[in-house]
Amino acid sequence: MSNNTSVVKNAVCTFCGCVCDDMELTVDLDEKRITKAKNACVLGRAWFYEHKIENYPVALIDGKEASLEEAVDEAARILVNAKFPAIYGLSDTTCEAQKEAVAIADYINGNIDTTTSVCHGPTGMAFQGVGESTASLGEIKNRADFVMYWGGNPAEAHPRHFQRYAVSPKGLHIPNGKEDRTIVMVDVRTTQSASVADIFLKVKPGRDFELLWALRALVKGAALDSSVEETTGIPLDTMKDLVERMKSCQFGVIFFGMGLTMTRGRHFNAGALLALATDLNDYTHFVALPTRGHGNVTGADNVVSWQTGYPFGISFNRGYPRFNPGEFTTADVLARGEIDALCVIASDPGSNFSKKAIEHLRAIPVITLDPKPTVTSQLARVAFTTATYGINVRGTVYRMDNVPLTTRPAFESPFPSDQDVLSAIKERVCELRGLKHASNRMTRQTAKVAV
Amino acid sequence: MKLRLHTTPEVPLEAEVISPDALQGLSESEAALLPIYHGNRKVGLGEFFEISGRVDESEGVVEVEGDLSRVKLIGHSMSAGRLVIHGSVGAHLGASMKGGEIHVSGDAADWVGREMSGGRIVIQGNAGHMVGSAVRGSSAGVQGGEIIIHGNALNEVGNGMRRGLIAVGGNTHDFTGVNMLAGTIVVLGRLGMRPGAGMVRGSIVAMERTECLPTFTYNSTIQPDFIRFYLFHLRKLGMSIKDEFINGQYERWSGDSLELNKGEILMYAG
Ligand code: SF4
Repeated sequence: MSNNTSVVKNAVCTFCGCVCDDMELTVDLDEKRITKAKNACVLGRAWFYEHKIENYPVALIDGKEASLEEAVDEAARILVNAKFPAIYGLSDTTCEAQKEAVAIADYINGNIDTTTSVCHGPTGMAFQGVGESTASLGEIKNRADFVMYWGGNPAEAHPRHFQRYAVSPKGLHIPNGKEDRTIVMVDVRTTQSASVADIFLKVKPGRDFELLWALRALVKGAALDSSVEETTGIPLDTMKDLVERMKSCQFGVIFFGMGLTMTRGRHFNAGALLALATDLNDYTHFVALPTRGHGNVTGADNVVSWQTGYPFGISFNRGYPRFNPGEFTTADVLARGEIDALCVIASDPGSNFSKKAIEHLRAIPVITLDPKPTVTSQLARVAFTTATYGINVRGTVYRMDNVPLTTRPAFESPFPSDQDVLSAIKERVCELRGLKHASNRMTRQTAKVAV
Repeated sequence: MKLRLHTTPEVPLEAEVISPDALQGLSESEAALLPIYHGNRKVGLGEFFEISGRVDESEGVVEVEGDLSRVKLIGHSMSAGRLVIHGSVGAHLGASMKGGEIHVSGDAADWVGREMSGGRIVIQGNAGHMVGSAVRGSSAGVQGGEIIIHGNALNEVGNGMRRGLIAVGGNTHDFTGVNMLAGTIVVLGRLGMRPGAGMVRGSIVAMERTECLPTFTYNSTIQPDFIRFYLFHLRKLGMSIKDEFINGQYERWSGDSLELNKGEILMYAG
């Protein structure tokens, strides 16, 4: 370790959706690495410590080293020539980069989709159908005396969620921390998280919907048949007791994870949970929040919604946005062999999509933007190496409760940011298509008004 | 008029102009110029289809053949005439249809007859998800008309249905009749999990027993006249209906008690 170090206070960890903004990073400026990450959890520490500047080429075309300009040109040509191109990923990059990606999708009349479609996409659909009663994590920390986790394992996936936001911290109206809260965990198996729970409900696999429906009925005062125990694995008396606690709390919250949204019932499971929270507002204050995985997947939802009106699974093929999960979501258009080009930003569908989807991925031109080589980048026609957001790139990220935060980079990277590359591709796309890009358009219109 | 797919599309086609309404009165060369979308490219219908004849004034018949599994939106908003499809079709067949009849000899992809308000769609094979459903974000699905699927259908048959009839000859997957407002769904096989979740009114009839949600309650075993009428009607349309279904008893479960509790699931009880 050299003596040339600096300390970045209040840095932001973008590894998971908690987006903790109280990091204190010690940076070795000669070696360009982080030597200490105070306040980070085990996942956060690994994220910071493992980050090194590697000697990768900035861009590859067909596996051969290329200049940034050549690669930008090739990527733009692929996208402009495609009849049904798609842009996917985006949950591990800044909002500034996400915005450029949406603009490209618009200019190339392609699809825009994010990793939301394979995690909390069903929640997005449920928001549309049922609505959302929500709160910030700060409000929850200060007020919630009833905290429930459904279908998630925060102890391992969001290690500081308990300690920083919802279980142990002392809050304005929760002076004694955990003592003042009732913690309930619902899952199909006993995970590490279960140990903090005052009440643990082990629901039968694939029966979350039935349990939520039964709880909703009890909240509404309906009688239930005792056979519900056989169906859900939870005794009726336990359900009744739970409902009483929910109704009589001061401020209740349910956090829910992919155990709910990615199992049989999907958007209806998420919808049932959101509806339960809404029903409880007849008695007390109750909110529900998805626990989001990737550091800025919430930002992706926000940016894509702000730009197109919909959160994910969108097609611009007719020049205006149309939303239809299943029809325009990337995993589906790949599995059906429909799209003819794909641009992936900070994601690795080549390693986690279905076999059929990956087969098609191999058959079409793919463009990737990633700080490190991935399975997808290795089969890509054009692969860009980009700087890591949060650690090397300043920008906006959204915490899982939709609170935007600005990252404080630890040191500079020799690689361009996703935003730089995407905005260069956007410019080139506009040139190839003979379009003036957005900012020019705006000036033209303003000029007209002035005349 | 006859349309034959002469070139396989590289990416999905969106061809709502394939409907008697849009093709009526056009010559072959005029029809060839009607716009369709090949992915994000607007092209003429003739670039993919060989067109022959004209749509006859009286019956308004349009016949289509070829592998249409990548052709979406056929028969969109159709109001009259007959669309006969030899083969299988892509998504959104007969979406927002108002009248007339569509007949498909093969299978259909997702969203058959979504938000239709009149007319009849007959699929000889299987159908995908969302048969006669509301689009995402809208609360009312089929407002009228009939959808007859001879094979099986997948999830969310009749999501948000408000009026009309959907009949499935085989089985359905989960959430049949979810959020149904009214109307009738008849399934000659088995319903998937969670039928009628969130239903307000309406009837779901099934010939095999399925577990109902905890918010549904059994009331009685009956022999409702309306089931006989519907089954005779379906038999006339070519569905094979066993006599015992017509004369049988049905267990009646009412729900969803989270809503009005005025919906019913009727399951054949012998
Ligand atoms: S909880 Fe998440 S955001 Fe916070 S330090 Fe750990 S990995 Fe980083």
